[in-house]
Amino acid sequence: MSAVKKSLVVEQLRRNQMIELLAQGKRMDGRGLLDYRAIKIETGIIPKASGSAKVTIGDTQVIAGVKVETGTPFPDTPDQGLLIVNAELLPLSSPYAEPGPPDEGVIELARVVDRGIRESQMIDVSQLVIKEGEKVYAVFADVSILNTDGNLFDTTSYAVVAALLSAKYTKYEMVDGKLRPTEVKEALPLRTIPVSVTIAKIGDSIVVDPTDEEEAVMDARLTLTTDSNGNICAGQKGEPGTFSFDQMLSGADTSRMKGQEIRNLLKEATGYTG
Amino acid sequence: MPDIRRKYVIPGELIAEGNYRPVANVLRVGEKYYSTRVGMAEVGHEGVRVIPLSGPYIPRVDDLVVGKVVDYSAFAWEVDINSCFFAFLPAQSVFGRDYSPAEDSLTSKFAVGDMLAAKIFAFDRTRDPLLGLAGPGLGRIPRGEIVKITPTKVPRLIGKRGSMIRTIEMATNCRLTIGQNGVVVINGSPDGVLMSLKAIKLVEEEAHTADLTQKVQALLGQRGATA
Repeated sequence: MSAVKKSLVVEQLRRNQMIELLAQGKRMDGRGLLDYRAIKIETGIIPKASGSAKVTIGDTQVIAGVKVETGTPFPDTPDQGLLIVNAELLPLSSPYAEPGPPDEGVIELARVVDRGIRESQMIDVSQLVIKEGEKVYAVFADVSILNTDGNLFDTTSYAVVAALLSAKYTKYEMVDGKLRPTEVKEALPLRTIPVSVTIAKIGDSIVVDPTDEEEAVMDARLTLTTDSNGNICAGQKGEPGTFSFDQMLSGADTSRMKGQEIRNLLKEATGYTG
Repeated sequence: MPDIRRKYVIPGELIAEGNYRPVANVLRVGEKYYSTRVGMAEVGHEGVRVIPLSGPYIPRVDDLVVGKVVDYSAFAWEVDINSCFFAFLPAQSVFGRDYSPAEDSLTSKFAVGDMLAAKIFAFDRTRDPLLGLAGPGLGRIPRGEIVKITPTKVPRLIGKRGSMIRTIEMATNCRLTIGQNGVVVINGSPDGVLMSLKAIKLVEEEAHTADLTQKVQALLGQRGATA
């Protein structure tokens, strides 16, 4: 029998306590239902990366690095650069994380974060072309989760966005059909700042920024990503529970409202003014 | 005079020389006794031992533990007892000898997430510990506040012949169930629970100091007077 369990089991007593408290509009850690934990964003912490960021929300800690390299475009999009987001859950990050290939949760995490950035069209990939159909820039965002205490979706998303906002990449030029690096370093061509906001349904209550314990108890989860104009550009619903139509609408409002607050935090931390 | 010599030690530190019985957390090399843990060393007529400052709970037969059901199979529940071992509660010990997986449903008694008080029935370090529910006060814990403390500090929380636990229970009007594995369940009024929590925190933080009972009495007495 293995000594490692796959996920957190919350005591029935604590579960009842949590649902009782939520019905009164309170949470176990004293937050309001629509309050995030303290968010800390640091950039430029990996000197060798084009851009990097470490984001801490409560006890959840994520580090993201962006590397801009050159590569061949996909055949169906010869006039676009590449964006690839990958996430990795370090075994040290949680008692329930195991070494080995990523499990479905981590794959979902990388996909949701990737989708938020891609669909908001944060990066103007058409400007990342060196020679159409042959050479483009490829933006790799790699994420390592250092510590887990719930809401990995948002923490990872902010880390990648902050890393992209602060990234500088080396320009290449084509000389005699060969690529040569230049001295020029430029910021990525960015258009908007996508911010994801994750809400969880526990009992009949809706909370944002769920902790690990709340995630273990939640019936359903919804991650919505908004761009700088407040348009919802990506979404992901998880867990078997359901949201009512009204809950979806208020969730959309919450994601816009919270998104704006966090967008300001991201701008402040990265010095991005666009 | 029962001369017991005490001192703080770190792993590898020489505790005593001579002919003693190595009781716990002690390495004997010839006539010399070295500590294997960080903690308080005691040298007395019983022998040499080290009481560690921290560490996991290692099950011992007949210990009362408070555990959480995390899984079940056809024949047993798997219980998290805050240790490096998961414990098993055999279905037979709950349903009786004529337990049949076809007729009796394990979830009808305990579901995943339930807390229970149990005794360690058997453990020999080669297999996972077995739990038993035979005894007064054992079984599912229907309500209460759960607190975890460092398992090595449980003896201080109980006190000499239960003096500490009695002090806290009397002052706060709460009922404390203390598992040897460091899980404590408090039952009582919300104010009493809060006061007990404070007292337990104090015991945990200052477990290695003297006059602990007086400190707890002072804390609870003052709170009681102002409340």
